Amino acid sequence: MDNTPDDKILLVNNKIDELTRVARFLEELGEKWNLPDPLVFNLNLVMEEALANTILYGFSDDRNHTIEIQCSKSKSLISITIKDDGIEYDPTQKKDPDMSLPAGERPIGGLGIFLIKKIMDSVHYKRIDNINNLILTKNI
Amino acid sequence: MNVNVVKSGDYSIISVEGRVDTTNAGEFEKAVMEVVNSGINMIIFNCSGLNYISSSGLRVFLIVQKRMMANKGQLKLCSLQPGITEIFDISGFSSIFSIFPDQDSAEKAG
Repeated sequence: MDNTPDDKILLVNNKIDELTRVARFLEELGEKWNLPDPLVFNLNLVMEEALANTILYGFSDDRNHTIEIQCSKSKSLISITIKDDGIEYDPTQKKDPDMSLPAGERPIGGLGIFLIKKIMDSVHYKRIDNINNLILTKNI
Repeated sequence: MNVNVVKSGDYSIISVEGRVDTTNAGEFEKAVMEVVNSGINMIIFNCSGLNYISSSGLRVFLIVQKRMMANKGQLKLCSLQPGITEIFDISGFSSIFSIFPDQDSAEKAG
């Protein structure tokens, strides 16, 4: 058995349309790594939530920025690292929404980061040399 | 993503197919709000063809639910695929929507 982790990197621009490429990238990864469809769905969701936040709110200028998505798989773990040079933002500090509220009182939005935290087994954030690093892992 | 609206008895059935994500949630919201704004107040979302949703799509469902509650209307969801059910469960949406296994039971329920 080969125990070296398998690595894949995707670079995307800070444009919402890029999420379509991310979905395709994950589908291909799912096939290559033989991942079950529900896991591919969940990983796609997690990446979309993280990237949509960064793309929509993460930059204070109108310039093009490249966001790096690195996925790796070992025998028991999938790890996703998302790096961007946007505004310093630690999503792990965001307060969870109140799930006990009835529909009428539930705020519209604010679910994305909560979904990431619930789906993944670990969520870490590091700011290194002006780069946001969001490190997500899922046990498989 | 595809959105189709048909009448069935007292209900307007909105069938949604494919993916509802950040790239098209605005389009989804527009299509659905057209139905809501036309004064229809008994709606069933048939989600049998919905195979992906992110928080941007959940947001639209919540907007419709709030509007239907304000209008004293009825909103039901049916035929959610397992992956979608999981996301509804995680986000607490399963308890704020009336969800039925199929369209028939949704139409028959009071």
